[in-house]
Amino acid sequence: METKGNGFSAIGKGLPMVDARDKVTGLHDFGMDVALPGMLWGRVLRSPHPHARITHIDTSRAARLPGVVAIVTGDDAPRRKFSVCGQRLEDEHLLAIEKARYVGDEVAAVAAFDEDTAEEACTLIDVEYELLPAVLDPFEAMQPGAPLVHEHLGTNVATHTEFVRGDLGEALRQADAVVKERFSLPYFHQAYLEMNSCAAEWDSEGRLTLYASTQSPALSRGSYARALDIPPERIRVVQCHMGGAFGAKLEYKLHPICALLARKAGRPVKMVNPRHEEFFAGLPRVPMTIDLMFAAKKDGTILGKEIRIVADNGAYINYAHAAMLSALLRHDNLYRYQHTRAVGDLVYTNKVTSGCFRGFGNLQGHWAVESLMDILAEELGMDPAELRKINGVRTGDTTIHGWKILSCGLQECIDQVTKAAGWEQKRYAPKPRGPRKRGVGLACCLHVSGNRSFVPMFDGASAICLINAEGQVRILTGETDMGAGTRTAMSQMAAEALGVPVEWVQISTGDTDVTPHGLGTYADRGTTLGGGGVMMAALDAKRQVLELAAEELEARAEDLVIDDGVISVRGNRDRGIPFRQVTQKAFIRKAGGMIVGTGTYIPNGVSDIDPKTKYGNISCAYPFAAQVAEVEVDEETGEVWLVNHFAAHDLGRTINPLAARGQIIGAVAQGVGHALLEQMVYDDKGMLRNPSFKRYLIPRAWDMPRALTTILVETNDPNGPFGAKGLAEPALIPTPPAIANAIYNAVGVRLTHLPLTPEKVLRALKEKRERTARPEAPR
Amino acid sequence: MKHPLGVTINGVPYDRVVESRRTLLDFLRDELGITGPKKGCDAGDCGCCMVLIDGVPMHSCLILAAEMEGRQVTTIEGLARGDQLHPVQEAFIRCGAVQCGFCIPGIIITAKAFLEEHPNPTTDEVIEAISGHLCRCTGYLQIVDAIMAAAEAMRVPPQHA
Repeated sequence: METKGNGFSAIGKGLPMVDARDKVTGLHDFGMDVALPGMLWGRVLRSPHPHARITHIDTSRAARLPGVVAIVTGDDAPRRKFSVCGQRLEDEHLLAIEKARYVGDEVAAVAAFDEDTAEEACTLIDVEYELLPAVLDPFEAMQPGAPLVHEHLGTNVATHTEFVRGDLGEALRQADAVVKERFSLPYFHQAYLEMNSCAAEWDSEGRLTLYASTQSPALSRGSYARALDIPPERIRVVQCHMGGAFGAKLEYKLHPICALLARKAGRPVKMVNPRHEEFFAGLPRVPMTIDLMFAAKKDGTILGKEIRIVADNGAYINYAHAAMLSALLRHDNLYRYQHTRAVGDLVYTNKVTSGCFRGFGNLQGHWAVESLMDILAEELGMDPAELRKINGVRTGDTTIHGWKILSCGLQECIDQVTKAAGWEQKRYAPKPRGPRKRGVGLACCLHVSGNRSFVPMFDGASAICLINAEGQVRILTGETDMGAGTRTAMSQMAAEALGVPVEWVQISTGDTDVTPHGLGTYADRGTTLGGGGVMMAALDAKRQVLELAAEELEARAEDLVIDDGVISVRGNRDRGIPFRQVTQKAFIRKAGGMIVGTGTYIPNGVSDIDPKTKYGNISCAYPFAAQVAEVEVDEETGEVWLVNHFAAHDLGRTINPLAARGQIIGAVAQGVGHALLEQMVYDDKGMLRNPSFKRYLIPRAWDMPRALTTILVETNDPNGPFGAKGLAEPALIPTPPAIANAIYNAVGVRLTHLPLTPEKVLRALKEKRERTARPEAPR
Repeated sequence: MKHPLGVTINGVPYDRVVESRRTLLDFLRDELGITGPKKGCDAGDCGCCMVLIDGVPMHSCLILAAEMEGRQVTTIEGLARGDQLHPVQEAFIRCGAVQCGFCIPGIIITAKAFLEEHPNPTTDEVIEAISGHLCRCTGYLQIVDAIMAAAEAMRVPPQHA
């Protein structure tokens, strides 16, 4: 892909977000703010039981409540089952039929004149349940005789994945050291502040328009068509601004339920989940228990790796199968393993469906790998940074799974981040007396920029570039902006490609009637693939502008350049003409038609993966990262504070340093939450005990380190637009293991089950004291 | 039960009738279409709905609209003077303190009131001041930077005063 060297005008500028002014003045409307004329308010009735047969539903009392307009139950929904895009295992009805499978399962929905009435009506629907034994633990769910979440499948194992490279037995025979450990992570909630919402309306021809804050209008449209059993061409999804998503808002059942209600009511309906329902019935991160083993030589070379994962799918399958694949496979491409074996079971339970969350399986895998790397370093008597550098992949490698690493800044990230952190001094300094101990820990990661294995059809992106008479540039893209600044980055890329000021460019995202089909924002594909499409469209429009300008300037188009909105023969800017002079000419010549550039970016060398062996180059560019956490641990209370943090990220090319720093800080905050604060707690009745921000603790300002050093490493990837790769997801992945490794450095206890609460720290310190008192006891 | 309500919002007087149970937040958003204050939890946990009531920041989701008789309510929409943004708003844009923006109206309201009381704050005081707010995108550090920058801007008297 063409890059312009170092002389960029828009790329690399720390511009504020294009919509920042609207956001600070309250004028930026989110999905939740949508209001349609004559709309009703909807509310969902959810199952209070984790597993129950629905024997009867009586809606008559609810229907008599003044203000109620429509009630829907499973009888009003299509009998067919559906699932998310690309998912072959269709296991879900739009509203529960016969059985409810978790506390929160959608049983009925009501539309009324206002939200309070809809909520009250839900309490007046009489549902008779026959309680069934629930299965809540995935290991128990795999036992013979366990209650079945979906009887017709005959098992609770939704997917079993297994693949081998090389010969692990050979690695074990050659190894000088073998280390193994079990790690786990609970359900983590994305905790986006804008709750899921939707507004739906049908026209007289039976066409549906859905206004929704969704990460992927195109994928949603296909899934909702199956859920509603109507052709996709009858659905228009208009993507509204998202108040955070982090993976949770790819597709969500509330949207087609809203459509079902609106069809029955014959009026537009709006629905907003209350916050507690977001916790009960969202799509939180896939919980995993991970058994990991490394076999290594004395010199640090890791020969083999074995990983076994049991993951909690919850009641219905979403994208957990793909998160499982990421957790099993992705980090194998970070180090130069020769022999690997991976086994994963994704298991149904009577709990909330697990789904996508920033880092998507890769966070889970790296939690185990980057913790065990430090255990191995200690076993070998090596520095953890050195061990990672010895094994790390490098530019030009084709990894064990066939990933082509065209740019790799891993070594530079490790070098820069350890230098900035004062690693040597802090890591090996003697600990002071007293209960408060400090320590530093390192963790690395790699990620993708687009993920071919996620949705099987294709990877890549398209865009349209419209230029009107006034020279105003509008990009139409099917990709979306979760609030991370995708539209800002795209406007900088379009401006750079065209040679016009950034302010002339506007980005319109997802409206399935208008924009090209875009897969949406996930797998760090927005900037690299979405941006690639935008760049190609802008270059196509530029070619047309230059052809017209060539007539005006009596020169050859290939000799012309556009710089800051002035078109001239290269090196002769003084005799240039304004961009708008040419777009005016186009406007007249085309009888009002605009300049229309189209662009498609299909990344080079990306292949679908083999369904059985999982071999294949799933992404066009791989970002790398290394982070050092510095923690303080109170040995008397078990409390842990992240006091200082250093993050080095190979992002290929910095499109916007201000936004890039923001992505890293925000991701580290989520990493602090995962490491120290957050977990969804279920009791033995399958009830979530902490469905509010009072009890599910996400970081507040005082939980953040006072200092956070961000280092941007530019490796100029040959596939990325202007060399850019993904950033926002990998920024979260190393943080939890870096914190765990720092705790070990501070007080010598290895914690393996997230989150690392004071109770766990204290228990581990007590066990360590007992071990030290009886040195002969086995570890 | 319904109550007559006379309240001034962003300088505009309103005479309405409200249900007893109506929160100020729902009244603003659903009845007046003033959607700057956001609903992130409806329980006083997140701070997205913060408004000024006679200059004091409060969670509009925890207050009944009917209690607002005779009060002056300021929402995020009421901070700018025409095209002239409040220094806190300017600083949030400049410092990259805004990502998705959902929590931002509430945090800016709190920051404005805080800086009027504490024109020369320390970083720790700013962190304390905004710790009633949740933000899931930014990790807060650029928000803290923005509030410190706004404090400085507000201390410098306007040149054409």
